[in-house]
Amino acid sequence: MHRRSFLAAIGAAGAVSMLPRRAWAFGGSGRVNVAEIQLATGTISRPEAWKRLLFETIQTTSVEASPEVAQLAPDDPKLFEHPFAVLCGDGALPALTQQAREQLVRYLSYGGFLLIDDASGTLHSDFDATVRRIIADLYPTRPLETLSADHSIYRSFFLLQEPAGRVQLSRVLEGVAHVSTHPLVYTRNDLSGALDRRADGSDRLPCTPGGEEQRREAIKLSINLLMYALTSNYKQDQAHVKELMREGRLE
Amino acid sequence: MNFLFDSCCSTTGHLAWSAPTWVCILAVVGGLLAWAVSILPLRPVRYVESAAMALAVAAVIWALCGPEWVDDGERLEEGRLIVLVDGSRSMDVLEADGRPRSAAVASLLDRIGPAEVYTFGDRLRAGAPTAFLDGDTDLGGALDGITRKYAGERLGGIVVLSDGIDRGGLRKRLSTGAAVGEGAGAVSLNGPLTVYGIGDAQGRTDLAVDAVRAGSFAFLRAPFPMDVDVRAIGTIPAQVTVSLTRDGQPAGSAVAQLNERGEGTAHFSLNPDRAGRFLYEASVPLPAGDAVPANQQMGLAVQVVRDRVRVLQVCGSPSWDQKFLRLFLKEDPAVDLVSFFILRTSRDMNSGYSPDELSLIEFPYQNLFDRELSTFDLVIFQNFDYRPYFESRANELLGNVAAYVKNGGAFVMLGGDRSFDLGSYAGTPIADILPMRLGVEGGGVDERLVVPKLTESGARHPVTQLTGESSDNALAWAQLGPLDGVNTVVGAADGAAVLLEHPTLKAADGRPMPILAVSEVGKGRTMALTSDASWRWSFAGAGAGQGNQAYLRFWKGAMRWLIGDAADAPVTVETARENYGPGETATALVRVRSVAFSPLAGVSVEARLSGPEGEQTLQANTDADGTARFELPTQRRGAHRIRVRAVGAGLEDAAAETVYGVTSRDPELDQVEPDIEFLKALSAQAGGAFVPAGTWSPPLRDASAGRRVHERRVVELGLLPAVGVLFSVSASLAWLMRRRSGLR
Repeated sequence: MHRRSFLAAIGAAGAVSMLPRRAWAFGGSGRVNVAEIQLATGTISRPEAWKRLLFETIQTTSVEASPEVAQLAPDDPKLFEHPFAVLCGDGALPALTQQAREQLVRYLSYGGFLLIDDASGTLHSDFDATVRRIIADLYPTRPLETLSADHSIYRSFFLLQEPAGRVQLSRVLEGVAHVSTHPLVYTRNDLSGALDRRADGSDRLPCTPGGEEQRREAIKLSINLLMYALTSNYKQDQAHVKELMREGRLE
Repeated sequence: MNFLFDSCCSTTGHLAWSAPTWVCILAVVGGLLAWAVSILPLRPVRYVESAAMALAVAAVIWALCGPEWVDDGERLEEGRLIVLVDGSRSMDVLEADGRPRSAAVASLLDRIGPAEVYTFGDRLRAGAPTAFLDGDTDLGGALDGITRKYAGERLGGIVVLSDGIDRGGLRKRLSTGAAVGEGAGAVSLNGPLTVYGIGDAQGRTDLAVDAVRAGSFAFLRAPFPMDVDVRAIGTIPAQVTVSLTRDGQPAGSAVAQLNERGEGTAHFSLNPDRAGRFLYEASVPLPAGDAVPANQQMGLAVQVVRDRVRVLQVCGSPSWDQKFLRLFLKEDPAVDLVSFFILRTSRDMNSGYSPDELSLIEFPYQNLFDRELSTFDLVIFQNFDYRPYFESRANELLGNVAAYVKNGGAFVMLGGDRSFDLGSYAGTPIADILPMRLGVEGGGVDERLVVPKLTESGARHPVTQLTGESSDNALAWAQLGPLDGVNTVVGAADGAAVLLEHPTLKAADGRPMPILAVSEVGKGRTMALTSDASWRWSFAGAGAGQGNQAYLRFWKGAMRWLIGDAADAPVTVETARENYGPGETATALVRVRSVAFSPLAGVSVEARLSGPEGEQTLQANTDADGTARFELPTQRRGAHRIRVRAVGAGLEDAAAETVYGVTSRDPELDQVEPDIEFLKALSAQAGGAFVPAGTWSPPLRDASAGRRVHERRVVELGLLPAVGVLFSVSASLAWLMRRRSGLR
């Protein structure tokens, strides 16, 4: 499906009015899309949430995206066709197999990006506990660290103050560093829950406590995360920092 | 009597025996036995004969025992007069009267009279100079040498004949107020010093480049200063125009304002636009009657290096292709990356977000493509649509890019829906520099998956070398994952090299559709890759457990070739230094290697040398390390260029060149004006006398100086004529008496 037809489909659903725009790109698989990593237990699939992310990205940015969400096992070689992957869940995750662990490490080392989303909505969830174990297994020598307030994720497209989601459990994002980027980012606020919607286009879950304003911030964060996966630390380039500071939009 | 005894025995002497004791004993015993035998038979008693024989025997014994009369004594000699003559080339500078400065030396030596004469330049040697050819005049060293040679002896006098142009450090020390006996290499004189000044400071005209001051290396496209010091004597102009050339081509001029001492500096700010080694030469006009025309120019070779490869990546839409290329560029410490990604276009403006919510800056395209372009080594257009930004200035700004390439820059266009004909680049100045011909009707794209095929050119070209071995290289390309379609083009541009082509798709010219092509445009280079999926060579390879080496090697090879990295060439030539002094040993090392970077042994290398000595061609073969060596001429000052060419080994006459300078002008002629003040200061510091040129006074002498000479007079008493006479008379008398007594 071409981008033009994808947009037409979304438009027909009445989600938003669109401007006509050219939509060339080579081969659908080359465009930006999302891979959902599925484990035997603990993970949940929210393809509509990620399609909304892709749609919002297309509408808001110059990124050419494809409305495709693939569900893949962590040891599936096809994972390397999707440099942006998500792992969303609300329960305890099983330990990764050796093959899955090795592939995920390779995936993250060579340019892949993994967003882990805790959809449990609770501070001390089984998901959180098992995710931390898996991350420690993936990166025995690198900690899951809190991303600083001036991290590129907070300015890769929108200027953000803190991470939003369906809930507001944590005011920070966490991540694991590799060279100069964070290819693995973990959010506790059920980001996909804020993005998810039904077939008719209505939101599936309410955002608490901030309501629609909180959802809006969650959408902005999701776009920033995708943009960060594409441009990494581009926004930390000196030219951008200097220009934003000159304009008084960054301290 | 004097003949007999040789005035031998003074009252202060003493007797000594030169023969060993055993010789003396043997002589005495033998003598007594001989005497005893000679007087036999005992009857009749022959007193006279016996006595005469005894005297003869005693004379023989005396002579054999080697008696000597030794007389030790002392005498006082007058102190030596040492004359040091400056034998340097500056002494041969013509004076205002047309005679060489050294002409005064001979007459001064005549008037000084008997003396021990030494010549000094960079070393001290006995004798007066026969020619004035020395360099690096070191008067301090000469005085030090004399002091050491006559250590412990008070000299009657030390005389110096010089023009005062000293390059050994003594002049510098004295100019800072140091005493003659201070500092390293200082001298402590052991006799009164008289300095005769040679040469006249007046009446001479000379305009010279005194120094060219700059670092021996500069950074590409970064301003670096070069100062040229100018000095005039005689007629001093208010200002002098200094001309600068780079490898013989004009590189600018600047004016030096001269002060009352005739000194001034011209300031240049250079902005090298190419990496490599260049010879800069500064020169001043030659005034009429210039004393030393040879000091009108001075050169300095400068190595222009890249600090880091400065890359501008302009991307029209964030994509995985952009991401992986940025990661590659960003993680290379040798790359200074400036990225501009178009994150939002005018079509994205109605998404309901206010500009204040966005972390976006305006695309500074005017600044980039008007003023900053020349600061980059490589510009990458990655799926970039210029039209929304350049608008009415499109031709001008794209023309700037084309001009930048023709002047030595590098440009890459990568595929995508905003590139090539899809980006409406046909008919723009960019189309003129691309290695592919644009003009596909309605734009062109083929979305089928494709594994590009390595062409014959690609098999040899450094851009497409994924492995060390050419046979493995084709296989490596064939094993790479497929690309997600390509932009289509009319075909390859004239003179371009197609490195990868479509295995099935044909271009309008009937040949396989080019996918990767390179071209040399003016002094610069361009590359076009009609795909936006080279990232798959990285990520798919990693997924298959092969790592991302193919992707990294491709882009590293492309970068090296695009920026014209000399070290990446199959043939390189270099000299150890940029600048040499006249006569110094200089060697050029030529390294020859295959496209796969293996040293090539036994390759014939031809070197053509051109410079002030003329042109010559040398030949050598590479050794096992792929290296050939050439001895280079350094006899004459100026720029020397070496062009080398390797023949055979499939190199297709690969060539390289470099330049070196013989820049140290004869330092003896840097300054031709006699330094009378230095000579005065020297004599004053040493408590001596200075005698100006054209005047005369005798050298200072220390009457008390001299040396006690130990003398020993030895008279060999055994060889005195008196001993011979005594023996002869005694032996004859004994013989006569014996005959008269009837004995035989």
